[in-house]
Amino acid sequence: MSSCYTDDEIQRLDRDALRALQLIRFKKIVTQALKTEFYKNKLGSVGIKSAADITNIDDIVKIPFTTKEDLRNTYPYGLLAADKADVVRMHASSGTTGKPTVIYQTQSDLDNWTNLTVRSLKATGCTRDDVFQNMMTYGLFTGGIGLHYGAEKLGMFVIPASSGNTKRQFMLMQDFETTVVHATPSYMLHLYSEIETNGFKKKDFTLKKAMIGAEPHSEEIRQKIENYFGIDAYNSYGLSEMNGPSVAFECVHKNGMHLWEDSYILEIVDKNTFLPVEDGTQGELVLTNLIRESTPIIRYRTRDLTKVIPGNCQCGRTARRIDRIFGRTDDMLIINGVNVFPSQIEEVIMKMPEIGNNYRIVVRKKGTLDELIVETEVGPDIITDDTRDLYALKDRIKDELRASITITPHVEFHEPGQLPVQIGKAIRVVDERGELK
Amino acid sequence: MIWNKVRECESVEKRKERQLADLKDLCSRVYGRVPFYKKKFDEAGIKPSDIKTLDDIAKIPFTTKDEMRDTYPYGLLAVDETDIVEIHTSSGTTGTPVVDAYTQADMEMWGEVMARCFGMSGGDKGDVVQNAYGYGMFTGGLGVHYGAHKMGANIIPAASGNTKRQLMLMRDFKSTILTCTPSYALCMYEEAKEMGIDFKDLHLKSGIFGAEPWSDNMRQEIQEKLHLKAHDIYGLTEIIGPGVSNECENQNGLHVNEDYFYPEIIDPATGKVLPEGEKGELVFTTLSKQGTPVLRYRTRDITWLWHDKCSCGRTLVKMHRLLGRNDDMLIIRGVNVFPSQIENVLMRVEETQPHYQIIVDRGLTHLDEVELQVEVEETFFSDETKELERIKNKLHHELKQELGVSINIKLVEPKSIERSIGKAKRVIDKRTL
Repeated sequence: MSSCYTDDEIQRLDRDALRALQLIRFKKIVTQALKTEFYKNKLGSVGIKSAADITNIDDIVKIPFTTKEDLRNTYPYGLLAADKADVVRMHASSGTTGKPTVIYQTQSDLDNWTNLTVRSLKATGCTRDDVFQNMMTYGLFTGGIGLHYGAEKLGMFVIPASSGNTKRQFMLMQDFETTVVHATPSYMLHLYSEIETNGFKKKDFTLKKAMIGAEPHSEEIRQKIENYFGIDAYNSYGLSEMNGPSVAFECVHKNGMHLWEDSYILEIVDKNTFLPVEDGTQGELVLTNLIRESTPIIRYRTRDLTKVIPGNCQCGRTARRIDRIFGRTDDMLIINGVNVFPSQIEEVIMKMPEIGNNYRIVVRKKGTLDELIVETEVGPDIITDDTRDLYALKDRIKDELRASITITPHVEFHEPGQLPVQIGKAIRVVDERGELK
Repeated sequence: MIWNKVRECESVEKRKERQLADLKDLCSRVYGRVPFYKKKFDEAGIKPSDIKTLDDIAKIPFTTKDEMRDTYPYGLLAVDETDIVEIHTSSGTTGTPVVDAYTQADMEMWGEVMARCFGMSGGDKGDVVQNAYGYGMFTGGLGVHYGAHKMGANIIPAASGNTKRQLMLMRDFKSTILTCTPSYALCMYEEAKEMGIDFKDLHLKSGIFGAEPWSDNMRQEIQEKLHLKAHDIYGLTEIIGPGVSNECENQNGLHVNEDYFYPEIIDPATGKVLPEGEKGELVFTTLSKQGTPVLRYRTRDITWLWHDKCSCGRTLVKMHRLLGRNDDMLIIRGVNVFPSQIENVLMRVEETQPHYQIIVDRGLTHLDEVELQVEVEETFFSDETKELERIKNKLHHELKQELGVSINIKLVEPKSIERSIGKAKRVIDKRTL
C-alpha cells in the first residue's frame, strides 16, 4: 500500500505514528467495505455511514464482529468490494460442500501481501542468496503460493516442491543445497524420521532455517526440530481470511510473532465477554484487514487463543508480538495443517441414507503425522451383503469427504449399536494426539 | 485478443533479424559460461563467431535428454546461482530429472509467452481461469498460472484432482477458461454427469489442454461434451514448460513463439534439417533464456512446420499437433505405430470410448505382442457375445486400415480403465529387456 514511509521505517514507527497510519488506512478500508451490502448493514447498525464517522482508531470496538458464518453466508460474492474485473486471484478454504470461505485479491492486494511476506522472511534473516524449498501445498490453500511469491520477490532461489513425496524432498534438498524450508511442524518431524529410511544422512543437507506454520505447536516441538536438524525454526501465523501466511512472523529473536500492525488491527478480546483485554492476558485474537481493497474484513473473530507479549522486542520493530496459539474457541481440528470442522464431516455422513445417525471422528498420530478416522454405523443388510458394496460405499464416503474437507480420511464401519451413543457434538470427536509436545 | 501484436504479427524478415541477433548472443553466452556447450562447440570445430546466418545453426551439435540428465543438477547453468529465482524439474520417474532454472527475466518471458497462449485461446483480462494442472515442481501449473496472471485474469488455482470440488468452483465462480490435460477434461465430464451438472449450464468458453498428445477427434468430443472451444498447447520442461506453442481460434496448427524458441524439423535418423512442410523430429533452441539455455534440443516429438497467412493476423510459424513421439512409437511387426493413430480410430468408431491402454508384452514366442484394451461405449455394452464380437471386428478392420497392421483387441467394460488427473498412461510396457 502506498505510504510516505519505506518498509523499514514502517517497521520502526513509534506507536503514535503507527496509530496515525492505522487510522488513515482504516478509514480507507471502511470506505471500501461500505461498498458491500453486508458492511453497509453491519457498519450502519452502529451509525457508521462513511469514513468521516471514524475519528479514533479505538472506536473500532463499537463495530460488531465478523464471523466465519458471515463469510459463508455471503458466498460467493457478498464481500467483494472491488470491481470483479480487477480481481486477479481467489483462494478458498475447505468449507462445507457448496460453501467454502473465499477471499479475492486484486493486483495491489497481492503486491501488499507479497511485501509482507518479503518483510517476514527478511525478519528471520533470509536473503537473496538463500535456496528456499517450499513444502507447503500449492493451489487454493494460501500457504504454498503465499510464501512462493514473497520468496521470489526477495530474490531467493525458489524450489516449488509442494507437499508430500518425501524422498524427492530429500533429493532436492541435497542437490540444490537448500538452506531454508517452509513446512508444517509435523512434516518437519516426519522428514527427520524418514532421513535414513530414504538412504540419506543429516550431513547431506545444508539446511539453516525452517519456517514453520499452519498448525499450532509448542516450544518443545520447535526445539526438537531445531536440535534434530541443527537449524533455527521460526513460527509463523496467518489465515486465509486475512490473506494467508505473513500476518505475524517471528524475527531472529524467536520471542513471539510480530503481528504486522501497519496492515492489520490487532485486538485480543475476552473469550466470554468479548471485551478487550490488557496486553499479557490471554483471549481470542480479532483481526481487521487494513490493506485489502477487494475483500475488506473488519473485526474478524479468528477463534484462535493467544496473548500479546508485553514489552519491546530487541530487534527494534514496534509491531507488537503475539504468543504462539494456545488453542481454539471452537471445535475446529487442524489435521496436518488443514482446517477441518466436525460439522463438515457430519453434513456429508448425514446425507447418506445407508448410514445410521451415530458416528465418531478420531484423530490420532501415525508416526509424526496426523490421521483422521471416521467411524460410522451401517445397516445390517449392508454388512452381510456382498463386500463389494461395502467397499463402494466406503469409497463414496471418502470421495464426498475429500471434496468437502480436502483430505481423505480412513472410514471404518460398525454394526448398529456398536458405537457409544453420543449426545452433543464435541464428544463425537476423539482427539488422541494429546497435548502438543 | 493478441497479447503482443508487435512481436506476434511482425514481418518474417524482421523476426529473422532478431532471431539471428539473439542466436549469436546465445552462442557467445553459453560458450563463455557453460563448459558443457564449450566442449560441444570445440568438438564440432566451431566458434560462436562461425554463426553468421540462421542456417548456420545446423553446425551446432544437438542436445539430448540424456545429456540434460547427465549434467544434473547445475551443469547447464549459464548464470550465477544467486540470480536464479525458481527451478522446476521434470518428474524424473525414469531416473535423474531434468532441471529448468529461471532468472527473473526468464520468469517475465515465461509469463509473456503464456499470456500470448491465453490470447490465442480467446482469453482476456476479464476471464476467470480455472487452472487444474498440478502445481509444484511440474511446470504445467505454475507456468499457466503466471501467464493468466500476466494477462490480468482472475485465477482459481485449483490444481489437479478433487474433481467434485473442481466442478463446484467452476459452477459457483463462473469459470470461463479451463486449463488441464485433455484426459482430465473428459474425466470431469463423467463426474459432472454423475453430479447432475450439465456443462451447458456452466460458463466455460475456452479450454487450454496439453501435457499429453491428443487427437482432433478427441477435441471434437471435448468440445461437444464441455461446451467450449478446445485449444491445444505445447511445451516441455527442457525448453521452458507450457507456452512454447498454442492454437489460435482457427485451431489449425499451433503458433510457435519462435522469437524465443527457435524451431527446426530434422530427420531423426540422419540429423539433417528438413525443409519446411516435411514431417520429422522437432528441435528447439531457446534464443533468449538466461538460466538454463538449451541449444538444438531434440524433443523426440514428431510433427511438421509451416508458414501460412493465418486469418488471426499472427505471422508466427505453425507446428502441426503432435503426431507422436519418437520414443513412444511402437513397432508392431515392423510397422511404426503411434498411440495417437489408435486414438483417432477409437474416436471415429462410435461404439468405443477414447479410454484405452496399449499393453506391450513379450509372449511365449519371445516376439513383441501388442494388445489394445479399450472401453466400450456404455450404451453399446452388452452381455451378448455376438454384439461384442461385432464391435471387435469393426474396430479390428478400422485399425488395420489406419495402421496397416493387425492388432489384438480386448474390449473392456465402461470405466474399467483407470482415469488420470494428469498425463494419461497409454502404453504399458511389460517387457523385461
